[in-house]
Amino acid sequence: MIRNIKFRLNGKDQNLELREEALVLDWLRNIAGLKGTKEGCREGDCGACLALLGGQAPDGSMEWRSVTTCTLAMGELENRHLVTIEGLASAGLTPVMEAMLDEGASQCGFCSPGFVLALTGYLVSGAKMDPVEAMLAVEGNLCRCTGYGSIRRAAKRLAEDFSDLPFGLKERFSVLADRKVLPKALADSMADSKADMPGGSVHKSGQTASMQNGSIVLGGGTDYFVQNPDPEPGLAPSFSDQDPASRRIKEKVLGGKTWICLGRAVTESDFFASNIIKKALPGMERYEVLVASPPIRNRATLAGNIVNASPIADMSAMLIALGAELEISSKDASRSLPIENIFLGYKKLDLKPGEYINEIRFPADWSRFAFEKVSKREHLDIATVNVAIAVKMGADGCIAEVRCSAGGVAAIPLRLKNAEALLTGAKPSLDLAKKLGAVYAESGSPMSDVRGSSVYRKRLLERLAWAACIRLWPELKLEEEIMA
Amino acid sequence: MSNNKRNPDSILNVLGKTVYIDDVPETSGMLHAGIVVSPSAHGRFAGLDFSKALERYPDIQFFTAKDIPGQNELSTSEPDEPLFADGIWHYQGEILALILGPSRSVARKAAALVSIIGREDMPAILDPRAAYEKGMFIPSPRTIVSGDTEAAFKNCDLVISGRADSLGQEHVYLETQGAIAMPGDDGGVRLLSGTQSPSGVQAIVARVLGVPMHRVEVEARRLGGAFGGKEDQASGWAALAALGAVKTGRPVKLYLNRRDDMIATGKRHPYSSDYKIGLKKDGTILAFEAVYYQNSGASADLSPAVIPRTLFHAAGTYEIPNIKVSGYMCRTNFVPFTAFRGFGGPQGFFVIESALDKAAAALGMDRAELQKKNLIKEGHKTHYGMSFKDVRAALCFDACIKQSDYKKLRAEINAFNLSHKAQKRGAALIPVCFGISFTKIMLNQGGALVHVYNDGSVSVATGAIEMGQGVGRKIAKISAMALGSSLDAIRIDCTRTSTVANTVATAASTGTDINGMAAQMACTEINKRLKSLAAEKLATVPEKIIMENGSVFVMDGEAKKETGLSFARLVGMAYESRTDLSAHAFYATPGLYYDIKTERGNPFLYHVYGAALVTATVDTIRGTYRFDQAFMTHDLAKSIDETIDLGQVEGAFAQGLGWACLEELKFDQNGRLLANTLSTYKVPDANFMPDMHIEFLRKPNPLAVANSKAVGEPPLIYGLAGYFAVMDALKAARPGEEGFYDLPMTPEKAMLFLSGELPGDVAR
Repeated sequence: MIRNIKFRLNGKDQNLELREEALVLDWLRNIAGLKGTKEGCREGDCGACLALLGGQAPDGSMEWRSVTTCTLAMGELENRHLVTIEGLASAGLTPVMEAMLDEGASQCGFCSPGFVLALTGYLVSGAKMDPVEAMLAVEGNLCRCTGYGSIRRAAKRLAEDFSDLPFGLKERFSVLADRKVLPKALADSMADSKADMPGGSVHKSGQTASMQNGSIVLGGGTDYFVQNPDPEPGLAPSFSDQDPASRRIKEKVLGGKTWICLGRAVTESDFFASNIIKKALPGMERYEVLVASPPIRNRATLAGNIVNASPIADMSAMLIALGAELEISSKDASRSLPIENIFLGYKKLDLKPGEYINEIRFPADWSRFAFEKVSKREHLDIATVNVAIAVKMGADGCIAEVRCSAGGVAAIPLRLKNAEALLTGAKPSLDLAKKLGAVYAESGSPMSDVRGSSVYRKRLLERLAWAACIRLWPELKLEEEIMA
Repeated sequence: MSNNKRNPDSILNVLGKTVYIDDVPETSGMLHAGIVVSPSAHGRFAGLDFSKALERYPDIQFFTAKDIPGQNELSTSEPDEPLFADGIWHYQGEILALILGPSRSVARKAAALVSIIGREDMPAILDPRAAYEKGMFIPSPRTIVSGDTEAAFKNCDLVISGRADSLGQEHVYLETQGAIAMPGDDGGVRLLSGTQSPSGVQAIVARVLGVPMHRVEVEARRLGGAFGGKEDQASGWAALAALGAVKTGRPVKLYLNRRDDMIATGKRHPYSSDYKIGLKKDGTILAFEAVYYQNSGASADLSPAVIPRTLFHAAGTYEIPNIKVSGYMCRTNFVPFTAFRGFGGPQGFFVIESALDKAAAALGMDRAELQKKNLIKEGHKTHYGMSFKDVRAALCFDACIKQSDYKKLRAEINAFNLSHKAQKRGAALIPVCFGISFTKIMLNQGGALVHVYNDGSVSVATGAIEMGQGVGRKIAKISAMALGSSLDAIRIDCTRTSTVANTVATAASTGTDINGMAAQMACTEINKRLKSLAAEKLATVPEKIIMENGSVFVMDGEAKKETGLSFARLVGMAYESRTDLSAHAFYATPGLYYDIKTERGNPFLYHVYGAALVTATVDTIRGTYRFDQAFMTHDLAKSIDETIDLGQVEGAFAQGLGWACLEELKFDQNGRLLANTLSTYKVPDANFMPDMHIEFLRKPNPLAVANSKAVGEPPLIYGLAGYFAVMDALKAARPGEEGFYDLPMTPEKAMLFLSGELPGDVAR
C-alpha cells in the first residue's frame, strides 16, 4: 500500500510516499538509482544486496545490523536508517575497501559491495576484533571468484588494524570516522540515537491495531519475500517489529515456575545474543552458526520461523524440545497453545485469520540442551534433518524430564513422545543412546527430495540422536564408544 | 594519486561503481523482457494462449518462433538449437515466447500467465548411456588410440576396471545473463551483452535477424563472472533482446532472475565413464582404456569441442604407453551442457584418478607413490602424438610433497585414525597437466587495436573480456611495457565488435596469451614509430632509444641517460609530425595442427603443470566432512601480476572443490532441475574452504606473452584432491571396503558409505 514513510538513507532524511510492500532492493536500484546494491539471488542467500540497517534496540539504544535488502520491505525502513555502498563510498576508498583491493579480494566485483558492507558492519557492530569473528561476519556473502583466500587475508588485516576499537557507540563511531571507515558526516548520523530520527518516537499502539485487523503480519520477511519475490501492489502488511519492545526477552514467573518469554519479533540474532538465554541454556550460542546467516538471523524472527511452518525450521525444532508454549492473540482474544500443536499438516497451522503469535515462552529450568543439524553445506544452509533434545536431570542422575524433537522427516516438525518415554526416568548410558537412536530412526516418514533421500534421513535420525546424547552427557565420553 | 599496484577495475568494484548490464542507466521508452519456458524435459505443443496475460497486462507484446525474420537457430555447429521452441521442446527451460512490458515486474508476471495449448509430454532420455544405446549421438564420436592396449593388458600383473560418474555443475556467476538492445535506423541493432564472445553474439544475432553482421554491433564492458557459462550460452539472450528491439523499435532489456538463469542456461557436462587400467606389480601403468559417455544435453552447443579435451586429458598427468579412449556426445533431454572452466578436462582427470585410486588399493600402495612413479617425463609422446617439452610435473609434485611434509602428514593421519573412531582423517594428492590452446584450432586467433591519443593517454582494445580474471590489468601491464608508457596512461577499452572484429571467446585460459600478444604487437609497432621520431629529435639511432614507464632514455655506451623527454611529449611531437599513433595487430597461435582422422597432432602451445594436496576430516557419526588444509604448487612461470594469479589459483580450486565435494546438480526423475536456486544449489562459502597454502614455480615460459603461463583453468582440477581425501578418510573408517567414484562427494554419500547403505548403482 502506498503510504508516507520517514526514514534516513545514507545520513539523509527521507519523507516519501511509497509502496510499503515493495522490496528495498528494488526501490534502491529502480527508484533511488543506487545501483551499487546488487541482486544476486533474491532469496537472501548470496549477500550481494547487503546493507546496514540502524534502528532502536529493545533497550532503547541504537543498533546496527547487516540485512539482505532483497527480503526487506520498504515499510520496515520506517524510523530507521539504511546505509548502502553509496553511503560508505561517498568520500572515496575506505580502509575496508583498501584491504580488499590490496589482497585482491575483488575479482568480477559483483559481490564486492556486499562484502564491503558486511566487513564495515563488523567494525561498526562492536564485536570482538579477530580474524575468525571477521569471517563469521561475511558468512552471508557468497563469492564465486576468489575462493575466499584473499577475503580471509583482508578480514585478518582489518581485524588486526582495528584491534583497539573502543566499545562505546559514540567513541567507536568517532574512531571509525577519524580512520575513514565511514565518511565523517555519515558516522555522525549513524551514531545518532533514534530520538533524532525523522518521525520521532515509534508508534506502538497503531501497529498492534493494524496487526489485529487481519492483514498479513510479517516478521523478518526472510521467507515471505522468498516465496513472494515481487509483491503485488496494494499489500498492506503489518510489521511485527515496529515496536522495539516486541523484541524483548524476559524471565517471568508463572504458576510458581520461571519461564523465558520471547516477544513476537525476537530475531534469531536477539535470541542467541541474549544473556537470559545464555544463562538458562549454557552453550546455546554454539548453535548460532548452524542457523541461516548473519543478515538472515538479524531479520528472521522465531515467531516467523514457526508460522512459516517449514518441517525443517531450526528454531521450531529447538522450541519444541524446549517445551515452548505460544501465546496466540487476535483482536478480541488470546489463547495459549503448546508449540507442537500449532502444526496441523504440511504448511497448515492452527492459526485463524487475524491471529498472530504474540509471545513464545518456555520453562527456564532445563538442565541440558542439545541441537544437531546436518545440511549439505555446514553453514548458510537448510537442514536435511535436525534434532533437538532438552533434559532435566534428577538428583539420582536419572532423567527426570525430557522433550525430544526432529525436523525434516515429516510434513511438520515433530515432537517425539516415544523417545521421551524411553528417556524419562532412565540413566544416561551408551546403551540408552543406542536405543534412542533406534527410536528416532523409526520416527516420522522421511521423504526423498533435493536435500536427501529417505534412507539417508532415516540414518541421520539415528546418528543425530546419538550425537545429541554425546553433547548432552559429555562426561560419559560416548563419542568413541558409540562407533566401536 | 592512484596507487599503481591497485587494479582500477577493482577500485570501481569495491566502491560499488562498476556498471554491469542491469546497472546501465535506462533510456526512455525501454521495454523489459520476460520469458515463457518449457515446463518439462520433452513435449509437444500446439501453441500458446496469451489471453490471460493480455487481460491483466494489456500493454504487453509477445513474440514466438514465427516472428523471427531470419533463422530460428543458435548453434555454432550442428543446426540443432532453435532460439524459440517451435511445436516441440527438448528440455525444461527451452524458450517458448518472449514477453515485453513496461517494467521487468510486469513482463515476468505476464509471462507467468501464459498457458500452453495442447501440451503433450513425451518420454525423456536422461541417462547418457540410454542415449548411447539408442544411437542418439551428436556427431561425431571420437576415439584416440596409441600403442596396443589389448596386448599390453596381457603383460600386466593387475588389470582393474570400473565406472566413474561425475555430475554437472552450475556456473553461479553472480551476475545473471542479460543483454540490452538498441534498435538501429537501418534495421540493425546495437547490443550491450553479458558475453564472453561478442563476435559470437554478433554472428548469431545477425542470423536471427536476417541481416549482415555489419549491422549488428556488440559491446561488453565487464561481466560479473562467467566461467564458461557466457561463452555460447549468452547468444540466445542477446538474440531475444535484439529481436524485441527490432520488432518494436524501442530499446529492450532482458535480464534473467536467478531461477530462470539456473533452469534455462547450460552447465558443466555430466559424464558417466567406464575404464580399464593395467599395471605392473611395481605400480607402472602399462595400459588404460576408457569410454566417456558425455551427457551433452539436447543440442550440440560446445560439446564437440569439449569431448576432445576430455580425451586429451584422459591420461591425467601420467605416462601411459598404451591408450585407447573413446568419447560419445550423448543427446539427452537436458539443457545444452556447455563450457565450464576446465572444459571436459576435469571430467577426464576424475576417471584416471579414480582408476589410480582403485589400483593403489589393490596393490596396497600409497596413492602418492603410485602417482609419482607414473608422472610424465621430458620427451614423452602423448597418445595424440604431441611431444611434451619443458615438463614440470615432477618438479611440482615433489615441491608439493615437500611443502606439505607429506610423509610426516601421512604418519600423523595413520596414527590419528588408529586412535579415533568418531573422526577419521584422510589426504590425497592430484598432479595436474593441462594443455593450453583452444582445442578447436581456428579459435586460436586474436586482434588488438591500440590508439595513442595526442595527450599521451592510450586506449587498448582487444577481443578479451574482463570477467574478474584480471585480463584487462594484465594486458594493460603488457601494453605499458611494450609502449614504454606509464601504466596509468593505459585504459583498456571495452570489447566491441566494431573496434576489433572476428574475435573469439575469452575462454580456454587463453585470454591473456592471445589478446595480450596481439596488444603487445600493436604497442610494439607504435613504440617503433615513436623511437624513430625520438632518435631523429635526439640525433641518435632508434636502437639507442629506451622508452620506459613514461620516460625516454638514450643509451650512451652501457649507461642509460635521461633525456628529459616524456612519453606524452614525444606523442605530442609525433602528432605534430603527422605520425600514425594507432596500430592494429593480429596474433595466431603458432605451431598448432591436428588431424581429426588420425587423431594425431599438436593441439596445444604448451602445458601447465601443478600439484595439490588436500586433507580432510570425516565425522563418522554424522557423516559430514571438513577440509583442513590445501597445499598447492602451481606452475605459474613468470607472472604478469601475482595478486591476480594467486586469486585465479585459489578461485579455481574453490570451484573444483565445490564441483567435487559440494555442488549437487540434482534433477528429478523427469529431468526437471531440482537444485534451481541458491537455497537448494550450494556453492562453497568461506567456511567450506580449507586453509590454502600456495607456492609458485616461477620458471619462465618463452612460448607465451611476457614468459607467462595461462592460469584460468588448470587449478580447478586441484579440487579433485578433496574428493579423494574424503574417500581416503572414509576408507579408514571401513578398512577393506571398496571406494566409490560418484562425484560429487556429498554428506549423504559419505553417511551411507559409512553405514553400508550406499545404493547398488553408485559407480565403483
